[in-house]
Amino acid sequence: MNSELKALYRDTLLEHSREPKNNRVLKNADAYFELKNPLCGDLITIYLKVSHCIVSEATFEAQCCSICTASASMLTDQITKSDIEGGIDFADSLIESLLQPGISIANLENEEIQSLAGVKSFPSRIRCATLPWEAFKGAVSRLV
Amino acid sequence: MTDLLAPPPIPAALKKARDDFPILKREVNGKPLVYLDNAASTQKPQSVIDAITQYYANENSNIHRGVHLLSTEATAAYENARTKLAAYLNANDESEIVFTRGATESINLVAHSFLEPLASAGDEILISHMEHHANIVPWQLLCERTGAVLKVAPIFDNGDLDTDTYISLMGPRTKLAAIVHVSNSIGTVNPIERIIEAAKDRSIPTLIDSAQSIQHMKLDVQELDCDFLVFSGHKMFMPTGIGGLYGKRAKLDSMRPYQGGGDMIANVSFDGTTFKAPPYRFEAGTPHIAGGIGIAAGIDYIESIGRDLICDYETQLIDYAANRLKSTAGVRLIGEPSHRAGAISFVMNSAHAHDIGTILDTEGIAVRSGHHCCEPLMKRFGISATARASIALYNNHEDIDALVESLGKVHQLFG
Repeated sequence: MNSELKALYRDTLLEHSREPKNNRVLKNADAYFELKNPLCGDLITIYLKVSHCIVSEATFEAQCCSICTASASMLTDQITKSDIEGGIDFADSLIESLLQPGISIANLENEEIQSLAGVKSFPSRIRCATLPWEAFKGAVSRLV
Repeated sequence: MTDLLAPPPIPAALKKARDDFPILKREVNGKPLVYLDNAASTQKPQSVIDAITQYYANENSNIHRGVHLLSTEATAAYENARTKLAAYLNANDESEIVFTRGATESINLVAHSFLEPLASAGDEILISHMEHHANIVPWQLLCERTGAVLKVAPIFDNGDLDTDTYISLMGPRTKLAAIVHVSNSIGTVNPIERIIEAAKDRSIPTLIDSAQSIQHMKLDVQELDCDFLVFSGHKMFMPTGIGGLYGKRAKLDSMRPYQGGGDMIANVSFDGTTFKAPPYRFEAGTPHIAGGIGIAAGIDYIESIGRDLICDYETQLIDYAANRLKSTAGVRLIGEPSHRAGAISFVMNSAHAHDIGTILDTEGIAVRSGHHCCEPLMKRFGISATARASIALYNNHEDIDALVESLGKVHQLFG
């Protein structure tokens, strides 16, 4: 396996994809958002339970690849107990750091999420990593 | 007893053919390219590349309108492609070949110019569950405009068409029976002869999507007796952006223009405009002249090898690939049709199709991952994506072996 591939499929990422956290439908969600990547058919739904602008619970269900699954699993970890605004800021920073070659993901204060950095060497896979975060932003936009 | 895992011998003509495709000499990620994404687009032989270069370097000019030498030469070269295509498909006449951008545009042309004026609310268009989006969406849009209804014939779990049901859905209100000849995603070869026969008995016009069969087998439109047949050049060693529509002349004569503009008119005045006879009625504006010239060169190339030889060899190679993949740990084929051509779809227990595609790419192996523009078919199998290996005349058993070996690495990483 070449070094770029090793960097893509880091152990942290593989662990999250094999045993994703919060991978279930949230029946009493305050908001949910389904997002599809029309290029490949990947489909993800993010569910949020929110109390006083704090995410009390975040879950997802998905039909997608290991990177998208791992990214969604890490997302639900990251935003649970975080305030909505902070969650959106984090999502924006992550998406920007994956899309912009000059911005390092190492600036994000979450070591597990830094394991997504490997997609930057695989342009066709960047959207796999960003899809859950875009869905999260969609879910937030639906909160009343 | 035949050894199902014995590699098929490569005929001499095809051994040499591999050298005709310059791209096959390049490396991808430091490994020799193994190109198994031919259902998406085939590679181009040097003779096609040279023909296009020759046109732009020595003959470039517009066609059907100049008296100067370059225009005369370019017109002759472009029309030569039509003549060759007509012979390739055994059309009755070269006016039955309409140049389009490809199979997708050909279907849209038939929808707009043939079917729309005939369709009213409650009329039916018949397709199958394994169609490419190109043979679904144009009909859905037509249904929206006219109130016609799209009827979808089911398939069996092995990926074969339920042909009896397809035929039983042909009714008094069926205005067109459209069917894919070879499925781009699972490789099923459909019994189009039987379908066309049944449709003719009921006076129902037929459209055959041959985008995935025309490069793998001989097609004779007079023998088939279909009304329309569509195809794309880039899936048969020719340039992108050009393809064609075969239509029976009587049908084409009855059809309204597709797009309006230059070259498709007989006379234009503000009191009214008259149109040329087919095929020019359907070819507005300056066409893809270099593409046409590439088509002529591509047909010459295929014929120089021989379609029967290509078909025989590819049939053995795709069977070899299916048998090898079936006996590969962690791999499950999607669709095991009784007659297959060109493509094999598979999934792995542990790895998603995109992960498979990425890992294979680092090994220099190009396959397609995704829904292959067949979302209803994916849903039918309860999946969102597959990995697909698809062959062309230049592939050999070593390509398949490399694929299988690399899938072992995927299994190791994700298993």
